[in-house]
Amino acid sequence: MTFQGIIIQILSGISTGMVIFLIAVGLSLVFGTLRILNLAHGTLYMLGAYLCYWISSLLTQVSGSFWWSILLAPVGVAVFGGLIEVLLLRRIYDREHLDQYLLTFALVLVVGDLCKLAWGVDYHLVPAPWPLTGPVFVMGMPFPSYNVFLILCGPLVFIGLWALIRYTRLGMVIRAMTYSREMANALGTNVPLIYTVVFMLGCWLAGLGGTLVVPTASAMPGMDMIVLIECFIIIVIGGLGSLSGAFLGSLIFGLVNAFGILVAPRLAVAFAFILMIIVLIIRPWGLMGEPE
Amino acid sequence: MRQSMSKRENSGKTVGVIAVLVGLFILPVLVSAGWLSLITEMLILALAACGLNLMLGYAGMVSFGPAGFYAVGAYATALILINTELPFALAFAAGPLFAAGAAVLIGWFCVRLTHVYFALLTLAFAQIIHTIIFEWYAFTKGDNGIVDIPIPEVLKPITHYYYFSFIIIVLCLALLWMIIKSPFGKTLQAMRENAQRAESIGINVRLYQLSTFVLSGFFLGVAGSLFCGFNKNVFPNYAHWGKSTEMLVVCLLGGIYNFFGPIVGSIVYLFLDKVITSYTQYWPLVLGMIIIILLLFLRGGIAGFIGERMALRQRRGGQA
Repeated sequence: MTFQGIIIQILSGISTGMVIFLIAVGLSLVFGTLRILNLAHGTLYMLGAYLCYWISSLLTQVSGSFWWSILLAPVGVAVFGGLIEVLLLRRIYDREHLDQYLLTFALVLVVGDLCKLAWGVDYHLVPAPWPLTGPVFVMGMPFPSYNVFLILCGPLVFIGLWALIRYTRLGMVIRAMTYSREMANALGTNVPLIYTVVFMLGCWLAGLGGTLVVPTASAMPGMDMIVLIECFIIIVIGGLGSLSGAFLGSLIFGLVNAFGILVAPRLAVAFAFILMIIVLIIRPWGLMGEPE
Repeated sequence: MRQSMSKRENSGKTVGVIAVLVGLFILPVLVSAGWLSLITEMLILALAACGLNLMLGYAGMVSFGPAGFYAVGAYATALILINTELPFALAFAAGPLFAAGAAVLIGWFCVRLTHVYFALLTLAFAQIIHTIIFEWYAFTKGDNGIVDIPIPEVLKPITHYYYFSFIIIVLCLALLWMIIKSPFGKTLQAMRENAQRAESIGINVRLYQLSTFVLSGFFLGVAGSLFCGFNKNVFPNYAHWGKSTEMLVVCLLGGIYNFFGPIVGSIVYLFLDKVITSYTQYWPLVLGMIIIILLLFLRGGIAGFIGERMALRQRRGGQA
């Protein structure tokens, strides 16, 4: 394999990783704050992808329809997530883990089937938007310019979230609640409101990931569980609830995947699994997480 | 007085169990072949769910990957029957043993972790089993599955297979019951309530958890082997997370803190599956709503609900 080929492979690995980062970080954020492992997170990502397709197809006459989708679809997912949090999740925070898993799994079934009802079982591809249609050349090798855009999105969101958590009042409250929910509550934080906001933020991230993935992988049934398992791998490698862990985990995952495909195309996902198992055994709290 | 009441309750339970067993025994005379095959399926799923519930309900270990061991059992039996001339009994026995073997290996890693991490690791291992079965075409025939598995002539009629499964499942359930009532079972429940406290009185929690993992894998393997003979085909989706969640839902539907919960759950689940899929292809949608309703309004599952009602009635009767 040539040097250029390796570079291209690295770039495509990073671009895969950066999209999954958006989704994984949402899952991790929700887990860190609400202490709920949301199995429906992948399904919300799928909902984002379908909404993107739907909005784009509604606005075919409008120029730049895809950019409208990027703006609107994640917000739609966030609003939907807010409803879920207020109507359902709120009732089971004090329950056992098993109940929480099952409730969110029930949402996987319900929302997944509703998507099927609304948009059928076909693959829906939306072409990459202007001006990202053509390739760029990296050392003479073509590389889709849309993927360059994806590579930029990851760090942008990472910095945005980091600033949010580090410098804003909301971020301070989130940190306090991750540290000690009871204490934050006792000091007068409106915990239910923060929960809703954080859950909606997580859903927005999932929706954004879903929207961005449509031009490269299309919206289709079953995409939700694939991404959910990938997100699990990433946040276990990086550390549950850790922002930088999700970023690092996504990068590692993308690269392992990109090179795993070269070695054994059908077993690529197994490499990531093996990596996760190694991390779980050596450092169960993840590369960037802290032991409890 | 309390003693006499619990005795009365126990004897009531015994009578109930015997009545059900006799009913199941004469069932083939009463129902059509289609129903008999559905009931066989229910019994097999009930065994799988009870095997899982040993971990879930009694030891408090939430596993997302029970289907992995189920599939190992099914594929071990299938591969031996297809590739070798070994007698059926051996092939059948190999299923649970291979599943238990896999559980030793996988459990050794898993019991090092707790809660979410434990659940995720079981899921990961089950997915690896799924990937191996799915991708190893030369050995497992991948997503084509293994079809037309030769089982002995004598077991081919559904009535005969029903009796075969019935006997195996009753034996396994009796074994599970004995395990749960033994000091070992009581220790598991103590660990479920408070692992640290159990550890502090000298219980080797990890060893107990590993043993539970292996026992659970064994019974899941029995269920897998039984289903392999029942269906005569095996497919990679036996190891899929969808199958694992099916088992979890069955346990929850029936109630995980009741020995008979998963059995009730299995019957209700497969019955609903049959009825609803004949009306609509959106069975997952209905199932999802059932789970939500169950979680929000019917905690403790069906068996838990009935048990609560019965206790209430008994208390009232005692007062009168």
